Amino acid sequence: MAPEPSGQPGAMTHQEKAQVEATFGRYINKGQVKYLKAGHLDVMESDRLGIGFVDPLTGRHFIDAFSSAGCFNVGRHNPAVMQALSEALAESDLGTFDAVSPHKVALAQKLIDLAPDGLNRVLFGAGGGDVVDAAIKLARGATGRTEVVSTIKAYHGHTGFSLSANGKEHYRHYCEPLVPGFKFAPFNDLAAIEQLVSDQTAAVIVEPIQGEAGIFPGTDEFLHGLRELCDRSGALLIFDEIQTGFGRTGRLFACEHTGVTPDIMTVAKSIGGGIYPNAAMLYRDAKALVGFVERHPHFHPSSTGGSEIGCRVSLAVLEYIESNRLWENAEKQGARLKAALEELMHENPKIIKEVRGKGLMIGIEYIHEFMGPMMSDALAQNGLFAAYSGNAPQVMRFMVPIVVNDEEMDRVIEAIRSAVKTMKVLLPLALPAAKIPAVLKLLNDERAQTVLFGFVRRVEDGVSWLSRKVKGGQS
Amino acid sequence: MSRKQNDAFAGYAATINAAHVKYLRGIGADVIEAKVEGPYVFDDKGKRYIDGFCAAGIHNLGRRPQAMIDALSEAVAATDQGNFPMISREKAALAQALAEFVPGNLECSQFSVMRGECFDFACKLARGFTQKKTLVGVAGSWFGQTGFPLTLSEAPLKDKFAPLLPATKMLPWGDTDAVAREINADTAMVAVEPIQAESGARVVDADYLKALRRRCDQTGALLVFDETQSGLGRSGHRFAYEHAGVTPDVLIIGEALGGGVFPIAATIFTQRINEFMNSHPLIHLSTFGGSDIGCRVATRALSLYRETSPWDNAATMGDKLKTGIEKIAKKHKVIRSVSGAGLLLALNLGAKKRAESFCKHAANAGLLLRPGAAAGNFVLLRPSLTISAKDADDILQAIEKAAAAVG
Repeated sequence: MAPEPSGQPGAMTHQEKAQVEATFGRYINKGQVKYLKAGHLDVMESDRLGIGFVDPLTGRHFIDAFSSAGCFNVGRHNPAVMQALSEALAESDLGTFDAVSPHKVALAQKLIDLAPDGLNRVLFGAGGGDVVDAAIKLARGATGRTEVVSTIKAYHGHTGFSLSANGKEHYRHYCEPLVPGFKFAPFNDLAAIEQLVSDQTAAVIVEPIQGEAGIFPGTDEFLHGLRELCDRSGALLIFDEIQTGFGRTGRLFACEHTGVTPDIMTVAKSIGGGIYPNAAMLYRDAKALVGFVERHPHFHPSSTGGSEIGCRVSLAVLEYIESNRLWENAEKQGARLKAALEELMHENPKIIKEVRGKGLMIGIEYIHEFMGPMMSDALAQNGLFAAYSGNAPQVMRFMVPIVVNDEEMDRVIEAIRSAVKTMKVLLPLALPAAKIPAVLKLLNDERAQTVLFGFVRRVEDGVSWLSRKVKGGQS
Repeated sequence: MSRKQNDAFAGYAATINAAHVKYLRGIGADVIEAKVEGPYVFDDKGKRYIDGFCAAGIHNLGRRPQAMIDALSEAVAATDQGNFPMISREKAALAQALAEFVPGNLECSQFSVMRGECFDFACKLARGFTQKKTLVGVAGSWFGQTGFPLTLSEAPLKDKFAPLLPATKMLPWGDTDAVAREINADTAMVAVEPIQAESGARVVDADYLKALRRRCDQTGALLVFDETQSGLGRSGHRFAYEHAGVTPDVLIIGEALGGGVFPIAATIFTQRINEFMNSHPLIHLSTFGGSDIGCRVATRALSLYRETSPWDNAATMGDKLKTGIEKIAKKHKVIRSVSGAGLLLALNLGAKKRAESFCKHAANAGLLLRPGAAAGNFVLLRPSLTISAKDADDILQAIEKAAAAVG
C-alpha cells in the first residue's frame, strides 16, 4: 500500500481522493459516500496524532471532536499505547481465545481494580455489541426470566440482542422481527420503567448517559430509582458504559457520578486505545450470576475478544488513563467547554436550543435539523471535525480526546464560536425558507438532505474546481 | 508447574472462570503459551506442542507469521483505527482486494470485528434486501454467539437465553425434500457452513448445496455461506464452495482474515444485494469493524494467502493425515471414523468424555486439540495450513499415542 500522505496541502490530490471514493463506493457503499459528502463529512484522515488529524487534501489540521464515538480517549497514536503494542508484537499474536494467559488475567484484574466496588468478574468480548449480547444472555440465564426493559432512543449495538435493545426505529426497522421480550420506556422516566418491570423482568439496560441518542445524562433520581427497582424486583441492572467509560464523562465510569453500581457493566471502544479492538463485560460476584457462569463456562466464548495483543494494549490504555488521572482532565476541560457552549446558546437562541452532557461528552441540540450538517461544514472550515447524529441531525456530539490541554480547548471553543458566526450569516437565507412548513420538512428530511446538501456540495465543488483551474493550481 | 503459571490459573479462576480452568485441565489445554511460532506453541518450560486448534482456525497462516507481524507493525506506525463511518483508502483497498480474491460475482464488503457480527449483519441484510422475514439454518450449524447466529446454531445452551429470534427455521441435515418444503416465498435467506466444523467437520454434500442454490433462485431467498472455518484455504481449496461448484449470494469470511494478529472479519455479497445498503447506508455500524489498521493487515494477509497458496499444502497434508488416521483407526477402534476435508478434520470418539480424554492424552503427546463445540463426541484437528510432512507425522504419532491411551 502507498505510504500515508504527509500533512502537506496536496499530499492527496483531488484525483486520488475521487479514486478512493469511487473504489469505496463500488466495493463498500455508494450511498455512504453520497451521505458523507452531503454532510461535509468526507474528510480523509492522515497524520493522526494527539487530539486530531490532518486533511491530506487541504493540509488543514483538524481537532477530532467525534473520536469515533468515544474511542480516542487517550488521544490518537498515544506513545505509551504504541509502546505496549510494539512489545506485545515481539512475543504475541491473537493467542488462543479459550486458553489461560497472564495477560488476560492482568487486564481482568486491572478492570476489577478500576471498576466500582463489587464488579469483580470479567468476560472478554470482541466489541461493544458482543459484550451487550453477553450481558443480556447472562441476565436471562441467571434469572431464568425473559423480559428486558430498555429505553427509547437507546443505542447498544448491532448484534442480535443489542439491536433488540436499541430504542431507535432507524436501526431496527428493516431487521424486524427482533428478539421478543424487549420493552421500552422513555429515558429518565422512572415511573414509566416501573410500569414495565415485573417478576418476569430479567434486566433493565441503560446507558448512564445516552450517547448516540444525543447526549442525555441520566438523572441521579432516575439511576438510583432503577437500582432500587431492580433490587425490589430481582431484575439485574445493566449499565452500558461503552461510550461513557474510561474517563470520558469526568469520572472513570459515568455511574460514579451517582454512586449507583450496576450488576453488569459493558465496556469497549476506548479500551482499545484507538488502535486495537477489545471489549469486556464486568459483573458482580453475586451467587446467581457467578453460579450461572460457573455452571455454563462456555455460555459466550469470543474468538477474538480478550486476545493476547488486545489485552496487553488495553492494559497500557488503562494504566495511562489511571496514572494521568484523565477523568479529572475530562471534568476540567468539559466544564470549560460546557460553559462556553452555554454562553453561545444564550447569545444565539435561534441556533442553539440546548447544551447537555458531562465531562467531555457534550451535545448541542440545534433548533432545526438542517443546522447539523450546516454546522458540521462551518466547524470543518474552522478545523473542528464534529459529526451530527445520523438519524437526529439537529444533535451534535462533542467528544474530543480527553487528553486535550488548555490551549487546545481554547482552539475548540474558538472554532465553535467562529462556526456559529458563519451560521448567523447563512441563517437569513435558510430561516425564512424554513418557515414555510413544506420547505422545513424538506430541509429536515434526511433523504432530502442527502440530495439537497449533495447538490449544494456539488455546486461548491464545481466552484472550487473552477477557481483552481483559473488560478492554474493543481487539480 | 511454575509459580507464574500457578498465579495465572488461580487469577483466571478468580476473575474470569474457575469451571473453565477445570475444563482446560481435563482436556490437557491448561497450557500457557509462552512462545508461539509457525505451527507450534511452547509452554513456559519449553515443551513444544503442535497447535491442532489454531483458535478454531484463526491461525491458518501459522502462529505469529513474520509477514503479518511486520504488516501490523507498519500499519500501526502509519495510522490508527480511524473514525468508523468515514471513507478511507484502507477500507477501499481491502474491499477491492476481497472482491478480487473471492471467486464469483461477490464484490461488496461489510467489515466486522468478528464472525458472529458478520452473521448478524448477513441476516439483517437478507431481511432488508428481500423484504421477507424467515431466516433458515441447517441442523448442526455453528455461526456464533450473538443473537442472530445463536438462534440459527446448534448451540447446546441456547434454550437458556430464549426466546430467541422469531421467524427462523432449521432444516434437518441432508434432507433434500425439506429444502423444497421449508424454503418458500417467505424465506429471506438460507445459511449454511459448507463444512460444519463444530459438528464433526461434516461436509455438506455438493448436491445438497446445489439443491439449496436452485431453491433460493426459485423463491428469491439469499443463499449465505459461512466459511469462517472452511475458508481461506483450510478445506484444501481457497473456499470450500469453489470445490462444490455452488456460489452463494453472501459469503462470510471469519477471523483468519486478520492473519492471526488482528480481529477482523468480512461479509461479501453481490452488487445486486448492495442496492439495499446503498439506499440505506449506515443502518448497520461497526466501531471496530473497518479499522484502518485492520484493513491494512487483512489486505496484507490476502496477498500472503495469494503468494503462498496454503490451500495446496492443506490438501496434501489433509490427505496424508486423513489416510494416516484411518490406518490408526483400524488398529484402535476407539476412533470410530474420521471426517472433514483438507486441514479441517474430525475424529469421532463416540462419546463426549472419551473425546475430552483423547484431547488430554494428545496434549501429553505434544498435540493441542479441542472437542467439537456442537457435537462434543468429536475431536477436531485444525493445525495451521503451513505444517510440514514431518509435522504431519508428529501429529499422527500423537494421535496414535492418544488412541492407545484412551482405547
